[in-house]
Amino acid sequence: MARVHFFERIVIDPPKERIYRRLGYRRKTTILSEGERKMVDETIERGRDHLHLRGASLLMSVLSVDSSGIELPGGVRFDSARLASFLEGCEEVLLMGATGGGDIIEAIARETEERNLAGAVVLDAAASEMVDASLDWIAGYHNNLLRREGKSLMGRRYSAGYGDFDLLYQKDIYELLEMHRLGVSITEQAILVPEKSVTAITGIVKR
Amino acid sequence: MVAVTRLQNIRRLVRRRCLILDGATGTELQRRGLPAGACPETWCLDHPEEIRAIHKEYAKAGSDIIYTCTFGANRLKLAQYGRSEVREINRELALLARVSVGRKVMVAGDIGPTGYFVEPFGELPFEEAVAVFREQIDGLVSGGVDLLVIETMMDIQEARAALIAAREGSGLFTMATMTFEKGGRTLNGTDAAAALVTLQSLGAHAVGCNCSTGPSEMMDTVKSMSRLRRVPLVAKPNAGMPRLQPDGTTVFSMTPEEFAGYGKTFVSLGVGLMGGCCGTTPDHIAALKEDLRGAIPPTPVRGGLSAVSSARKALVFEDGAPLLIIGERINPTGKTDLQKELRSGRTELAARMARDQERQGADLLDVNVGVPGIDQKETAASVIKTLSVASMLPLVVDSTDPAVIERSLRIYPGRALINSVSGGEDRMEAVLETARHYGAMFILLPLTSEGVPGSFEERKAAVRSIYERARQYGFTKADIIIDGLVMTVASNPDAPAEVLKTIEWASRSFHCRTLLGLSNVSFGLPERKWINGAFLAMAQSRGLTVAIANPADEELMHLKAAGDVLTGRDPDAAAYCSRFSTDFSTAAPVLKQALSLPERITRAVIEGSRSEIRELLKMALDAGEKPQAILSGLLIPAITEVGDMYEKRQYFLPQLIAAAETMQEGVAFLEPFIERGGGKDISSVAIVMATVEGDIHDIGKNIVALMLRNQGYTVIDLGKDVSAHRIIEEASRSKADLVGLSALMTTTMTQMEKTVLQARREGLKCPFLVGGAVVTPSWAESIGARYAKDGVEAVRVVGELLKKKESD
Repeated sequence: MARVHFFERIVIDPPKERIYRRLGYRRKTTILSEGERKMVDETIERGRDHLHLRGASLLMSVLSVDSSGIELPGGVRFDSARLASFLEGCEEVLLMGATGGGDIIEAIARETEERNLAGAVVLDAAASEMVDASLDWIAGYHNNLLRREGKSLMGRRYSAGYGDFDLLYQKDIYELLEMHRLGVSITEQAILVPEKSVTAITGIVKR
Repeated sequence: MVAVTRLQNIRRLVRRRCLILDGATGTELQRRGLPAGACPETWCLDHPEEIRAIHKEYAKAGSDIIYTCTFGANRLKLAQYGRSEVREINRELALLARVSVGRKVMVAGDIGPTGYFVEPFGELPFEEAVAVFREQIDGLVSGGVDLLVIETMMDIQEARAALIAAREGSGLFTMATMTFEKGGRTLNGTDAAAALVTLQSLGAHAVGCNCSTGPSEMMDTVKSMSRLRRVPLVAKPNAGMPRLQPDGTTVFSMTPEEFAGYGKTFVSLGVGLMGGCCGTTPDHIAALKEDLRGAIPPTPVRGGLSAVSSARKALVFEDGAPLLIIGERINPTGKTDLQKELRSGRTELAARMARDQERQGADLLDVNVGVPGIDQKETAASVIKTLSVASMLPLVVDSTDPAVIERSLRIYPGRALINSVSGGEDRMEAVLETARHYGAMFILLPLTSEGVPGSFEERKAAVRSIYERARQYGFTKADIIIDGLVMTVASNPDAPAEVLKTIEWASRSFHCRTLLGLSNVSFGLPERKWINGAFLAMAQSRGLTVAIANPADEELMHLKAAGDVLTGRDPDAAAYCSRFSTDFSTAAPVLKQALSLPERITRAVIEGSRSEIRELLKMALDAGEKPQAILSGLLIPAITEVGDMYEKRQYFLPQLIAAAETMQEGVAFLEPFIERGGGKDISSVAIVMATVEGDIHDIGKNIVALMLRNQGYTVIDLGKDVSAHRIIEEASRSKADLVGLSALMTTTMTQMEKTVLQARREGLKCPFLVGGAVVTPSWAESIGARYAKDGVEAVRVVGELLKKKESD
């Protein structure tokens, strides 16, 4: 089986548009003063200081796909008709995981304790979007390598907890990606700790 | 000698016409049967006829240079296929390429990425990366390649490692190309200008881009490089962008003619070597050859380039541009906390200082680790690695020790500025040699063996003498910044005038960039910032390019901005106006003064002005307003209006919360003055809130708690990961009127059901309100609870539930 690829430092700019959108901003409707925008932008920048983005990925071949799920090497099976439909025709998949580290969670808690919840929600949204963008970054990395093999990743990805893909499968993904090496743990309920950590799966298509 | 001749030949050729490279190899190999998952290099050795045929086809199509099939033939990649004969594999594949195309077509030894990110961006130690590439290059050189090509690099540090290995392991012409995403940056965030500045100064003979995009998108990347190039550019685009087919496969759809149609524009931008990457075929190369017949790339516009770079961006010292600031804070002199940190081997404080200075407007960062008794070489390397990730700004390596400078430049993933080179010392030769080897810029300090020259004439002579020496190492005036050598005015009142004369001469007659270490001038005087500011403005008027200063000094930074306007370096005062744009809101207080006090209180809540609400409320109380009337007549209507604006999306979440926090501040201030009695006191309504057991996501719950508190309810927030037992216990103890539960995940929302059921079993009758990303109204109903999608809706639902409870 292929080895897990670890990314110790993922360097990306905050996806501001996505962060604003996550916070409910609508370009044509929301009225935002220059001062308010500055506050939000500065908080996003502060969030960047507290985020230590790291990731892991693993390419796996697909042993079989049927209407009820997919089977991967090592006795791994994900029972999910929607995931199976999503990955239909793929002979390989990429598992990805990313984390923003624990520092940002402490920063959010500190802001909340200091009665600056407005700052805390901006940090929270920035962290969520930056971690999500880390998965885009990992996908970009693999696309650069796969392109030479005449392959590419599907444009979308799927996560445990979506549709009928039970969140508990996140435990298998966590183990496969050896996410403990990124300082991430997982609870009985399949919640990743620190909170700003994510996993996903996507398919590889041929040209 | 052979290598030098080859290098000169290629340089000569590329001056005469655009050289044609080959097209895709990977996709051609797949077409010829390379199985999925197989090692392309060893497969080619097992099927030499296939790779020979590809090389031949490209040569026949008109390639002047073909690439060996050694893209992944490095130790780390080959190990994934259980192979370790790096030199042999590279040598064999180089020989195979040579045999395929003969002597009329040149063979480029192809070097691709290892698949690992190099420190400071990844795990692979820099020197190990250099050794990995060196081993591959040894094999390619022994196989007789004519030149080397480092390609498809995503990480500038990996490209640097390969380039250093190429320079130290061969004298061959070396091209370096990186792969840029659609936004014009590499995956690691390096923009095209930074890649060019870094790689051409480090000694690449041609720099450019390959893969990722088609010719149309790649044009923008090449344009960004074009005006800064000192070497020919290289372009190897894909055959358009891949398109997804209905059957799930993707194809590159650009025809050879369409592809070749971009060739002449690339050449006009300075591309001297052009081929194709993914999806291109011998037909694309043949069409390109035909279209570019006789096309001559323009000579690089710059003999020298005054520019530095970080791993993210380039900074060009342009004539007539605003004064630049080198942040001076990362220097342990007089900073015990930084000294302590550097002694302990930690770098967090330096990273924080870097980020602060970047935010305060610094353009570059000076890095000095001069703490006695530490290993300054290793400390400098460690700090530079940290700062290269933490900040986008280019670094200034500040040391008197040539060994520290060498170690710093080797690891720095950009083109650095050395602070400094001075005359009259043995170390000058060592520093110049190091600067040449790594292509750094340097600050020329006009010191002589006799010490600090006092007069302008002596300084001028010292500058000329050091510059003449630097020229022998290949430096031009563009690589140098002359330090005016500031002396303190307190000890010599004439010193500033001599400095200013030096700056004016160096800028306007000697045509070099100039620099001042500003704060020295005021040493020993009180209120130093005014002396510093005045001196800066005077030097700006003499043509000063860059100052070493503390960007946290706001007055100084304002003066700099004003000086830029007055010296014509900020056309239309655009930067100046932008700097003070947020202060245009100073007009607002004037308007606010025109509002009545009640209107100002309302505005404060709506605008989330937490800092002024207490003062306004105090004024209202002093004016005889009743606290209850202020609360019900001003604050509650204001926050209700905010809620409406939020629901209409006119406000977004941070505005809603800022308003709610202002309201909370106001309510807390009024609370002691409110007389209780008559009717039901809303603060007697108790609401228990919690994120359920197993769940750690509490930001949504915190928002709802804030909104409910603002209504005057007493909210008991139990936090996150709270057991059903604890929630029920608190609800019973406090005789809660309502319990609010939140959960984000499907695996934890079941805890809500468990809590509600257990509460009912234990006789708790109060209503439950639930919410969270995966919770729906129907699910809430199914467990006997009400649902609210956000804080605003929660306020409404709680109101309804309490009303119903009262009427029951």
